[in-house]
Amino acid sequence: MSSEADPAILVENLIKSYDGRKNAVDGLSFRVDRGEIYGLLGKNGAGKSTTIKVLTTLVPPTSGKVSISGIDVVKRPNLIRKIIGVVQQEEAFDFTTVEQNFRIYGMLWEVPRETVKARTEELIELFNLSEVRRKRVFELSGGQKKRLQVAREFIHDMEVLFLDEPTVGMDPIMRRSVLDFISDKAKQGLTILFTTQILEEADYICRRVGIIDRGKLVAEGSSDELKNRYGSSKKLSVKTSRDLTSNEMDEFRGLMNSIDGIDDFNVGHNEIWAMGKQMNRAMNEIMRKMASLSIDVEQVNMDTPSLDDVFLDVVKR
Amino acid sequence: MRIPAFIRLTIRNVRVNTDPGTMLFMLGLPALYLVVLGIMFQGIIPSIDIHNSSISYTKFLAPGIVGMQAFTAGNIGGGMLWSDRRWGMFEQLLVGPFRRSEYLLGIMVVSIIFSLGGSAIMIALAISISGSFAFSAVSVGYLILILVAGTIFFSCLFLIISILVRTMQAYNTITIFLFFTLDFASTAFYPLTSETPFALRAVSDINPLSYVANVVRDAMVYGISTQTGYQTLIVLLLMFVFFGISLYLYRNVQTGL
Repeated sequence: MSSEADPAILVENLIKSYDGRKNAVDGLSFRVDRGEIYGLLGKNGAGKSTTIKVLTTLVPPTSGKVSISGIDVVKRPNLIRKIIGVVQQEEAFDFTTVEQNFRIYGMLWEVPRETVKARTEELIELFNLSEVRRKRVFELSGGQKKRLQVAREFIHDMEVLFLDEPTVGMDPIMRRSVLDFISDKAKQGLTILFTTQILEEADYICRRVGIIDRGKLVAEGSSDELKNRYGSSKKLSVKTSRDLTSNEMDEFRGLMNSIDGIDDFNVGHNEIWAMGKQMNRAMNEIMRKMASLSIDVEQVNMDTPSLDDVFLDVVKR
Repeated sequence: MRIPAFIRLTIRNVRVNTDPGTMLFMLGLPALYLVVLGIMFQGIIPSIDIHNSSISYTKFLAPGIVGMQAFTAGNIGGGMLWSDRRWGMFEQLLVGPFRRSEYLLGIMVVSIIFSLGGSAIMIALAISISGSFAFSAVSVGYLILILVAGTIFFSCLFLIISILVRTMQAYNTITIFLFFTLDFASTAFYPLTSETPFALRAVSDINPLSYVANVVRDAMVYGISTQTGYQTLIVLLLMFVFFGISLYLYRNVQTGL
């Protein structure tokens, strides 16, 4: 049975093959702690959806161990389904009104009627569905449907929530509001496994992310850790207050060639830029040289890698 | 008090299907058949003379319309799997606190509720048009049995279609074809007589709705006979066979299309 010491999600060497020849998930292992938001990232066909299907008991694993709150998904699938919530990537609605969707869902989950009523009001307000509460689902826009789908899941209590691209179709303001709501729920103890194609979202709310490629976990850590570990080259650009002479330009070229970790650079008349992974050292050296040549700095820019850069870097390897 | 999962699913199925469109299909259309067809045809068909008795056309038609409720309710119930797969609710429910078997049971129960409820309304309407029917405890027992068995059979038929068909166009084409073929090439609307062409008689004879309509008619009008028992047995047999097939296919049905 479940105990507080068990991780919320534990996946150990999960293998899932649909046809017995090719593994959709190939030796995947990760754990998610209670109250953590864990982002599972990967390109299309990487194995994210299959992993979620196994975790939510829709398909059995070929081998490996998978548990939710210490409960084995193969041995106790019925118990698992009572403690999880799932927001699918695809639409999933009853074609009734918005309000009825909440009521029916609450009834299905055996939520007391008064609680359903109170939560429906709260969620309709929070997810900005007041104007369409009496409309039938097929009358809603794509963003409104998605908001309803996410909001409806919070009508019932759960220990672990699986969110498969929950903000698709939402405008930026609503998206931020939904992410903040999800974040608050995690602070109250809800564990969330989150997949998204918008990596800024994962950067914004996930404590840790795992990048999955061809069914394997190829990188894992906090967003900052991954940026430091895998981030693509940073770009440093320094603008000078006056034009450089030919001799000065030659001196800077020699300097850039002498610094390890610079992949590319250019020395122009009033701008020097360089790309590589050791840009802090390059910046210090350039500053020192400019000081020695009595050249003032007009502007310095250093582009740091985003999670997008990390993702591209990792999956291209 | 905890409500069993299949009952919660049944309540959901009832709520989802009590929309004007479904109600029109389930009650409006048969009521229209009964009132308009019944009264209009009665003008040109003074009486139906079979089984050594003579009855009005509306009295003949009413049990056929009641029998049709099994088909209509089976269509609505079995078709739920199609719409739930199409609109994502099948997967959503299966990651909720439900077993596959409970989902199936929810479909069967809602079909039976709709069938019996619709039949009661049609019987009441028929009584208001053509007077009372000769019910007895045995005939009511047969009536309920044949409606339940027929409904389960038709639910299974539509479940099988929901599982095998992958596009909405194909699903709609098949259901509309079945609707017209099974309804109008059965004994629900017309009696088989010596003048019925062989081809139409053959179609009617292999049409399960004919057996359901015949048993309902015996229960409501002509009285229970050995023939009623045989026809009931055929429907029960079909029900078990189709239930087995649909169960076999349903066990491995994927959640999406």
